[in-house]
This record gives sequence, structure tokens and C-alpha cells, in this order.
Amino acid sequence: MPEGATKVEQLEQGLLADWSHLRRARFAAEEGKAELRKALDGLDSEDTSIVVSGSLARGEFTAGSDIDWTLLIDGSADPRHHDLFREIGMKVKPFASKEPGAEGTFGSMVFSHDLIHEIGGEDDTNQNTTRRLLLLLESRAVGREDAYQRVVRNILNRYLLEDRGLWKGSGHRVPRFLQNDFARYWRTMAVDFAYKLRKRAGKGWAIRNIKLRMSRKLIYVSGLLACYRRHLDYSQQDRTIIFADPDRHKEVVEHMEAVFRETPLEIVAGVLLRYAHLEEAAKKVFDSYDGFLGILADDQSRGHLESLTEDQADKDEIYQRARQFSHSFRDGLLDFFFDPKSELGSMTKNYGVF
Amino acid sequence: MRPIGFSTGALAYADFRRGLGMIRAAACVAVELSALRQAELFPLLESLQSLDLTGFDYISIHAPSQFDSTWEAVASDRLREECWRNWPIVVHPDALSDLSVWREFGTLLCVENMDKRKPIGRTARELDWIFGQLPEASLCFDIGHARQCDPTMTEAYLILREFGSKLRQVHVSEVNTRSKHDPLSYASILACQEVANLIPANVPLILETPVASDQIEAEIAKVRKALPLPRQIMVA
Repeated sequence: MPEGATKVEQLEQGLLADWSHLRRARFAAEEGKAELRKALDGLDSEDTSIVVSGSLARGEFTAGSDIDWTLLIDGSADPRHHDLFREIGMKVKPFASKEPGAEGTFGSMVFSHDLIHEIGGEDDTNQNTTRRLLLLLESRAVGREDAYQRVVRNILNRYLLEDRGLWKGSGHRVPRFLQNDFARYWRTMAVDFAYKLRKRAGKGWAIRNIKLRMSRKLIYVSGLLACYRRHLDYSQQDRTIIFADPDRHKEVVEHMEAVFRETPLEIVAGVLLRYAHLEEAAKKVFDSYDGFLGILADDQSRGHLESLTEDQADKDEIYQRARQFSHSFRDGLLDFFFDPKSELGSMTKNYGVF
Repeated sequence: MRPIGFSTGALAYADFRRGLGMIRAAACVAVELSALRQAELFPLLESLQSLDLTGFDYISIHAPSQFDSTWEAVASDRLREECWRNWPIVVHPDALSDLSVWREFGTLLCVENMDKRKPIGRTARELDWIFGQLPEASLCFDIGHARQCDPTMTEAYLILREFGSKLRQVHVSEVNTRSKHDPLSYASILACQEVANLIPANVPLILETPVASDQIEAEIAKVRKALPLPRQIMVA
């Protein structure tokens, strides 16, 4: 095993698999972030971070990928932030294959206040929830991380330190407050799929459908696993000591922060590597995801899916291939998450279902 | 009860005699004699023999926050002459150019974690490098600086977790967005409480809050609320 191999690479080699599309997408993402960092050098500050989300942050970047970015502000309000935001937009444009999404979630200025304070309740809008949870699940600061790191820590402080059951409970140490929000977000994405279909008169149905089944599902899965890792990463003895000691609660938050510095695929691979008996499930999950990225990386296939209508999908070869990948992905995840031989099955029943 | 005192500089800038008088009047048991500017150091050191320091259980000296490169060796030589007193010498790590001259102070050298304007010494990771160079040095934990760098107090927690065994004294104040020391606000009191248990009861708290004589007592009461005595940890 080469030194510094990623968890996905370790899994790939352990399973004697060939996930060339995943590799290429990961390298492309690294290159993309490095180029962006260079182009945006000097535009960020201690109080402002330029944050990318989506495939670039997940390490799944392909030629047709767009660049979802936000200017995250955690400091004094300054009218010049608007000029800064426009300047960033100009610099990012040459790297993007298309404009940021129509919902206004990306390509915008975001202040930290609502992300941290408005969790739940009427003021936690769909957009605020999306921004907050994507910050945890699939984001990277390009350049200075000061503001980004503070905001992520503050959000995690809220979810974990305010979760009474996490510290006082006696069963699985899974942060239910955070897990519930991940579950809410996953269901919101699924509902919004139907909403966007109606609003955009079916435009982009096929690509959106496949992304929901694959990359959107992946980030939910990685969020769920990140929550499970509060339990899995500590021995029974450590859990007894650490969770009962209020002075070590920040240690648990810090550990969670470290988990979210991994990409969703890395989080999934990291857990699968622990269970040799789940090899088949691992193969299904990653073979299918590699195939999915292969379709996205191919300009013709991607373009085809972007224009394919729902009526045409049943007999369309590319869409059906992508759909097969999504079924295999789903089946692998079901074997993985409902595994009776590990604690995963019981945790999924307790936290992922009810 | 935690030993509490003030920095003379916080109360009276360069006028350490006046600052000392204010601290003594408040019946504090700890004091930090401050010479934050280079020109203040020698006058302070020359006066040590004549200062009435009875009643103080803990005394430290705050060295200048900046040195001219030619003056660093001179200052460290002069400070070393006072080492027999066994008083910690608080230094800003970014002010030190030639670490070899400071290494000789051993545990009496008390390195302070920095505010966000400084290029080094702000985080646990940055302090790790400094303590790697100055392995015997102790820590002056500036809780206001740590909070300014990371309001989540995670960095404060990490610094205390990694370097708690080196902890010699704590600087307490609110550090505002211009990196100036302010009296403690309600929010900063709550933030301090998050790591209060990691600060042993016998470690002196040195207030750097600029307050008038008639506000000293109230400020001390705020600090006691912000950093109550560590409680016994109950393990289930």
C-alpha cells in the first residue's frame, strides 16, 4: 500500500478493484482547487472565507461540473464585501462550466449568524438549512480557513453540545439532533426534486434524478456515518469516560470536525474498511459510484442526460445504465447499513429509521 | 479561592508604581509588573529593589512586546540578572528573534499565546512549534487572545489540553476586534466558563482589563464568575 493512500484507494486495492473514474475525479478536484486558490489569492481574509461546495469539494470533479461557491463572512459587516463578492464571481467565472444554481444558494454572500443561530424554527429557511448542512457535508475553503473553521466549529458546538441525549444517554452515542437535521435535509432534497421538476417543466429531470439517487444520497449516507462514528470511534471504556466528562466534550466536537474534513467517499470507505465481511457491499457501493462518475465525466453522456425528458427515459440506454448503477448503489448501502453482524444495523434502526 | 491580581500596565500603562498601588489597595495577592514597551523595561528593573511587594504571593514580569534586534540580547541579559527572584518572565513569542538567549531562562520563561494580529503563537499547533524550540518554557494562557482567535473556545480547549502541564499564569480580559483589552462582557464570561475546569485552582489569574480604581472590585467579581474553581469530575 503506497504511503499516504486515501481510504478509497486502500479499499480499492483491498478489493482488487479498479475505480479509475473516482481517481481521475479526485485528481481533477485537487487541481481545480489549486487553480482556484491561485486565482483567488488575496481576496479572502481572517473574517471571510471563499467556500466551495458540490463535486469540487467532494473530490468528484469532472469536465462538466459547475463550481458552487459562497463568500462566507464571520465578522463585522462591511459594504465592501459586495465588491469583494463581485470580484470573486469574476475570477471564478472562467473556471465554471455554467452559472451557479437558480435557487441563489450559491454564488452569494453568506453571513455566519443565521447558520449558527437559526437551526430549526420558522427562520431556518430551506436555503439556510442547505447552506448550513452543505458546509458540514461537502465544503472546502479555498484559501484562508479562519472564518470557515470558526463557523463549522460553532455549528458543531450547537448540534453536539446542545444534544442532551448524546452526553446523558446510555446507549449508542449518536448525535440525534444533528442526525435528525441530516435526515430532514435528505428528505428535503427528495421533495425539492419534485418541486424543481414542476417549476422547470421537467427540464433536467434525468440528470437530477440520477444525482439524487447517487451523489445526493451519498452525502446523506456520509452524514449518517459521521454521526455513527461518535459511537464507533471510541471503545466502550473510552465512551464511559469521555462522554461523562463535560471537560472533554470539546474533544468530541473536535473529532467530529476532523471527520467532516474528509470527503463523503472517504467517510464511507473509512467505515467499510473496518468490516471485512462487508466486502461485497463495499464493492457494490464503490463500483456503482465509479460507474456513475464515468457517465458524468463523459461529455456526451452527461449532455444527453441533461436534455433527456422523463418520457424518453424508459428506453434510453444511458439513463438505464445510470439507473442500474443507482440500484446497485442502493443495494450495497442496504447491506451495509442493515448489517446484523456489526452495530451498524441496530444503529440504523434506532437513528436512521425511527 | 483562585489567586487573582492585575497587570500594572492594564491599570496605569507605564506607571507601574501607580498600578501597583491600585492593586495593593484592592488586596490582590498576585501582580504582573508590566514593561510592555522597550523603554519601560530598564526603569522597572532598576526599581525592583525599592518597590514594596509584600503581600503578593505571586509576582511576574511582562517583558516588552517588541524588541529592536540589537536590543534583544541586552534585554535578555538584564532580565536574566533578576532570575534569582524566581519570578516568571512573560514574553510574546513573536518578539523573540534569537531563541537561544531565551532558552536559558528555563521554566521561568513564560510564553504567552497571541492574539489574531500576530503571525505565530495563536493556536495549539503554532504553540507546539514554539515549545519545541523552548522545551522548558512555561505557558501564560491569555484567554482573551484565545477567544479572539476562536470564539468557539475550541482553540482555548486545545491549548489547555496540550500545554496544561506548562500553565504558569492566566491573562484574563476581553480582547476586542481592534485587539485591545476590554473589561469582561457577559458573552466573554460565558466563554471563559467553558474551559474554567481546565485551569487548576492554584494558577494565578492576572487581569488585563483596563478599569478605574472604583471598578476593580467589580471586575474581580466578574472574573470569579468567569473562572470558578474547578469542580470534581463525576465519572459515571
